[in-house]
Amino acid sequence: MASVTIRDVRKSFGAVDIIKGVSIDIQDGEFVILVGPSGCGKSTLLRMIAGLEDISGGEIRIGSRVVNNVPPKDRDIAMVFQNYALYPHMTVAQNMAFSLKLKRSPQGEIDERVARAAEILGLKPLLERFPRQLSGGQRQRVAMGRAIVRDPQVFLFDEPLSNLDAKLRVAMRAEIKALHQRLKTTTIYVTHDQIEAMTMADKIVVMHDGIVEQMGAPLELYDRPANLFVAGFIGSPAMNFIKGNVGSNGFKAESGQTFPLAAAPAASDGRPMVYGIRPEHIRLTDEGVPVEVVVIEPTGSETQIIVRPAGERDKPVADHSSAITCVLKDRIAARPGDVIRIAPDPKSIHLFDESGRRV
Amino acid sequence: MNLRKIVHGTWMAFCVFLLVSPALFFFIWMLSLSLKYEIDNGAYPPILIPERIAWKNYAGVFESNNFLLYFKNSIIVTGGATLLALMVGVPAGYGIARMRATKSAMVIMIARMTPGLSFLIPLFLLFQWLGLLGTLVPQILIHLVVTVPIVIWIMISYFETTPLELEEAAMIDGATRWQVFRNVALPIAKPGIVVAFILSVIFSWNNFVFGIVLASRETRTLPVAVYNMLSFEQVSWGPLAAAALIVTLPVLILTIVAQRQIIAGLTAGAVKGG
Repeated sequence: MASVTIRDVRKSFGAVDIIKGVSIDIQDGEFVILVGPSGCGKSTLLRMIAGLEDISGGEIRIGSRVVNNVPPKDRDIAMVFQNYALYPHMTVAQNMAFSLKLKRSPQGEIDERVARAAEILGLKPLLERFPRQLSGGQRQRVAMGRAIVRDPQVFLFDEPLSNLDAKLRVAMRAEIKALHQRLKTTTIYVTHDQIEAMTMADKIVVMHDGIVEQMGAPLELYDRPANLFVAGFIGSPAMNFIKGNVGSNGFKAESGQTFPLAAAPAASDGRPMVYGIRPEHIRLTDEGVPVEVVVIEPTGSETQIIVRPAGERDKPVADHSSAITCVLKDRIAARPGDVIRIAPDPKSIHLFDESGRRV
Repeated sequence: MNLRKIVHGTWMAFCVFLLVSPALFFFIWMLSLSLKYEIDNGAYPPILIPERIAWKNYAGVFESNNFLLYFKNSIIVTGGATLLALMVGVPAGYGIARMRATKSAMVIMIARMTPGLSFLIPLFLLFQWLGLLGTLVPQILIHLVVTVPIVIWIMISYFETTPLELEEAAMIDGATRWQVFRNVALPIAKPGIVVAFILSVIFSWNNFVFGIVLASRETRTLPVAVYNMLSFEQVSWGPLAAAALIVTLPVLILTIVAQRQIIAGLTAGAVKGG
C-alpha cells in the first residue's frame, strides 16, 4: 500500500492539451474516484499513473518514488480494464497466476495466493474455465482476482462496470466497495457515472476539460459544489439552474418569477446570477411559485415532475432552458397542463456568479 | 410457393455450377487425361471416361523419374521457406502493426509486387559466387521473396485486430516487451499464423520460375520435374497429367483440411467476439 501524489501533471497529444496541470494527493488506503464526462482526461490520467501513457509534464509519485519514467511492470500496480482484458487462451487460474509466474514466485505460493483470491471473489468453481465460458459479471470478478493476487501498492480501475447490466452494476459496486474495506489497498477508480462515484468513493475528483474542477468527500461535493459544472454533474437528477438576479425580496428569475432566498449575499444586488436548487429540495405548497406541469414520472418510491413557469406552455419540448425538475416523496394527483405551486427550500439554495463560481 | 422454391434452388445451383465449372472442368479433364491411354487422349470426339483405366500413368511417374527425390526436395524447400518466413514474418508483422509502420509495410508490398525474375539474376550470381548452386539452399532463400511478404501482410492485419488492452494488461502484470509478445500476442494470433502458414506453403509449393532457373537435376522441385516431362518430340499427356495431379494433391488436401481455418483467419476481427 502506498500514497499517490500527482503534481501539476500535463499531457498533450501534439498541439492538443488533454490534461492541463492536475494535482491530486491520494492518501494511503484511500478510495479515490476520478469522475467527469467523456473526454475530460480522466482515463488518460489513470493510464499515466499506470505507465501506459507518457507524462508530458509534472510528476507522479507512488509512495515516495517518482515513477514518471518507470515502466508499468515496475510500478507495482494492478489495473482492471473496462473490457476486462482477460487472456483468452488461459484459464481463470492461469489468468490470475500470470503475474506471479512472471515474477517467478514459487509454485506453492502461486497456488496459495490464487486460491485465496478465488475464495474472496467466489471464483473457486470457475478456476479451470476459460474466459469465453464466463458471464460478464464473472469475467469482471476474474479481472479483479488478477489484480488482487499480486497484492499491489495501488489498484487502478478504468470504468470497470460500464459493460455490465444495471442490476449487476449495483451488485458489483457493493462488492468492490466491500473488497476495498477488506484489503484497504489504495484505489484509483475512473468512471463517468456520478452515482458510482457518490456511493463508492472516500474522495471524488471531478474533472472537466483536462482540469480538476473540485475534489472532496462525496457529500461535501453534493452539499457545497464549487462551481456550476460540479453542481450540474453531481446529483441525479441534476440540479436546476435558473438565471436571473438577486432582488430585495428574493431571486428574480428571467421569467419574472421570484424564488425565495435565505440570505442575499452581500453586494449582489442587480448582478446576473444563477440560482441552483436540487430537485429533491423543492416542495409543493399553496404559497409557492406557480408553474405548469409538463411531465410526471412516477417511480414508485418517489415522483419526478418536470415543470415550466406558467405561460410557457408553447415552448418546444426540447427547450429545457426554463424547465425545473422536482423530486417529491409523495404521490401527487396533478396532470400535465395543471398549474401547481412549488417552493424551493431556502436553506438549500446555491448561488453562482456570472463566471460560474459559487457565491 | 413450393414450385417457386424449387425453381429458385435450381437456378441457384445452375449459377453456382456455371461459376465453378472452369476450375472444375480443368480438374476433371486433368483427372480424365491421367487415367487414359495415349490413344484415347487423341480421340475425336473426346472421351471423358475411358473404358480401360491407365493406372500405368501413375506408376510410370514414380518409375521413370526420380519423383520421390523431387517430392523430398519440394518438401524441404517449401518447409524451409515457410518456417523461415514464419520466424521472420510473425515478429515483423507484430512490430509493424504495433508501431503503425505503414511505410515499412508498403516496402514489403513492393518487394512482393516486383517480378521474381528481377531478383533472379543478381541472386543467381550471388549463389554461384557463394558456391551454393547445386544445393537446395538457394531455392529456400529465394522462396522467401514470396513467403515472407505473405506472412507479414497476413500477420499485420491479424495483429491489428487483437485488442491492445490485453498487452497493456500483461505489461502491468509485469511482462517485458518480449514476454508480452511471447505469452500474450503470439498465442492469440494462432489462427492468423495458421492461415499465413497455409498460404505460404501453397505459394511456395507451386512456385515454378525460381526452380527452373536455380535447380539442377538433383535439386528439382515438383513443378520443375513436371515441366521436364515435356519433351520435344511428343507430349505424353497421360503421364504429364498424372504427375501434375500428384504435385497438386498435397496442397489440395491441405486446403480442404484447413478451409475453415483459412476463412476464419481471413475474416477475423470482422465481428467482435465475446
